[in-house]
Order: sequence, then C-alpha cells, then structure tokens
Amino acid sequence: MSPSGKPCTSTQFARIDAVADPQSAAQIRREFSDWLGRHFTLDATKVSDVVLAVNEAVANAAEYAYVPAEQPGAMHVLADYDGTAATLTVTVTDEGAWRNVDPATTELSRGRGIPLMRALSDHAIVDSSDAGTRVCLQWNRVTAARARA
Amino acid sequence: MANQPAASNCAVERQRIGEIDVLLVAGVVDMLTAPQLEEAIAAAGKESPRGVIVDLSAVDFLASAGMGILVAARDELPPSVHFAVVADGPATSRPLKLVGIADIVGLHATLDEALAALTA
Repeated sequence: MSPSGKPCTSTQFARIDAVADPQSAAQIRREFSDWLGRHFTLDATKVSDVVLAVNEAVANAAEYAYVPAEQPGAMHVLADYDGTAATLTVTVTDEGAWRNVDPATTELSRGRGIPLMRALSDHAIVDSSDAGTRVCLQWNRVTAARARA
Repeated sequence: MANQPAASNCAVERQRIGEIDVLLVAGVVDMLTAPQLEEAIAAAGKESPRGVIVDLSAVDFLASAGMGILVAARDELPPSVHFAVVADGPATSRPLKLVGIADIVGLHATLDEALAALTA
C-alpha cells in the first residue's frame, strides 16, 4: 500500500515534506485512516476521534500555514505508537505562520479545528512560533491489532 | 473521477418532501467538498421551502469545514426557512455535539424526527 520513500510500519506512520494543500491533506487523512485500521483494534468512536483530530491538524496546516506565501510549503505528519505505554502520538508540523485567530472576532462558522483537536484527543498541544507550528496529539489505551511480531 | 484517488467523494441529492427540502449527503464532507454542501443549501433556500434539512446519515467523515457550513447555513437561509440537521454516529453527531453545534442548529437522529420537528 505504502509507496516507496514513505516509511510506514506497524508502529510508525510518516509523511514528511508533504505539500500543505487541501488535496494532500485529504490524501494523508485517508492513508492515516488505513494505517490506523490495519494496525490497531479501536472501537468506532475512537477511530473517528483520532482520524478527525488528525484531519483538523493537517487541514489547519494546509489552510493557514502558508497563507501569506504564494506557494504552499511543506507539512510533516508523524504518528508513533508506543506499545509499552499503549499510547499513540501524532505530530503535525509546518514551517508557516498560522493566521492569528482572535476568538472575539472569529466568525461563528470557523475556528473549530483546535477545540475539536482538544475534545477528541487525550492530550493536545498546539505550539506556534516564528519557525512554524507543531501540533501534538496523544491517545492513551491504544491497543495494537496483533501480538508483537 | 476513478482516476482521481486524491479527491474526496461527496454526493448531495435533493429531495422535496412536502414543503421541506431534504439534502441527502453521502461520503466525505471536508475542506475539499464543503463548498458542494454550501451550494446545495443555498440552492435549496432559493426555492422558498418551509424548511431545509441536511441529512448526514450517509456521511462517513465530517470535518470542521463541513460543520462551519452547517452553522453558516442558519444565517444564510431566509429567517422564515426552518433548518435542521440529521446525524447519528461517531463520525457526525458526536463531533457536532462536542463542539456545541448541536446547541446552535437543530440536530436529530433520524430524518423522520427532523421532519416531525419542522412540520410541527
């Protein structure tokens, strides 16, 4: 399934230097969802939660990170499973600048990405700096589909 | 379309049930396909129905981009047009409730419930 050059194992999913645009965001979501379904036994609610939270992180990078730039830049998605701790950690990074969102002026119809990420994960960190943005999402009690290979 | 695996698939079918326009949405509603839903809602509103119902029962992925369309729909439809959403399940009604959209737009588990609410 996984094209060459894209490291993907039962404990790791990586898309490095992906184009931060909506098409690529949708494709990464699908590939991540396939990876999640193949390697873990999660109930339908947790699968939905994880895929939606990751989608929002990737979509934010695709939509906002490179707004002032003419060309979309890169984003990196890395999912890491720690079997001992039973935690799944997904990190989405970009080197752009997310639009500063002032909650007071945010349209009612927008700005739900970060609240969703927080509500859908066990632990969410959004870390923005001049160098870019790093979103780290974590889930506990994640069980792998098979016993250790 | 078969040659475009990167595109998200979304279908919106419009049905008139009495004075209510029902939009049956299927597939993925994300940042790529949300404009399709937005256009369908706007088109339905122009027919001056008594109400518009967006039925997400066949949607298997709903992103915040799609949720935003649902919230905006309430403001963009004429005030006389009732608006309701049908959703049930971990991919749709759960996130809608988590971010409080269920408090802003009428959310129903089935189309029958939504029709009953809008025609009451």
